[in-house]
Amino acid sequence: MRFDPSTRGDGPETGVECPYCESTNTVRDHPKGPGLCRSMHYCEECEQPFEQFG
Amino acid sequence: MSTDEFDGGEFEESEFESEACAYTDYSSGEAHDEYPKTGEGATGTERKVWDALYEVEDPEMPVSIVDLGLIYGVEVVDDVARVEMTLTYTGCPARDMILNDVRCAALAAGVADAEVTLRYSPPWNVEMVTEDGKRDLREFGLSV
Repeated sequence: MRFDPSTRGDGPETGVECPYCESTNTVRDHPKGPGLCRSMHYCEECEQPFEQFG
Repeated sequence: MSTDEFDGGEFEESEFESEACAYTDYSSGEAHDEYPKTGEGATGTERKVWDALYEVEDPEMPVSIVDLGLIYGVEVVDDVARVEMTLTYTGCPARDMILNDVRCAALAAGVADAEVTLRYSPPWNVEMVTEDGKRDLREFGLSV
């Protein structure tokens, strides 16, 4: 058994720029999104979920 | 699965560590001087092929594969288009679909035949996305 290293969740947990309102008042919901290079975030400012690429 | 694309020295020389795609790890990379290739300055039939490739979108996101930086080269010799491209990662499940879309787009540009070759060197990273591509990704709800 080996764990999928892609679930390690490197990357910023807060402060990712929201693509809708450009606020950086954001938190990471989950380290992985629908693709291996995407993570799930939530914007506290405009209250929208979004993904980060890269 | 065909492994034809993996033949040749380029693959061995690349920094890519594994030919298996059981797990793929994404890490951000640096910008390249030569990439992304956008067909700037292309003329004649090559221009038409580039224009056709701009119409092909990533299956997951409404962004042109050219703006994503996936096209590494277009050459038209003796009415045959040769397109070199990459994928965002080797295990991409949409591989065959994208390759077919690219071939069809090139054919629609008016060449007699089109050959699409995959390359993983240099490895793609998000820095290869063009400014237009980044704008489209943001509109789609992706932070880049």
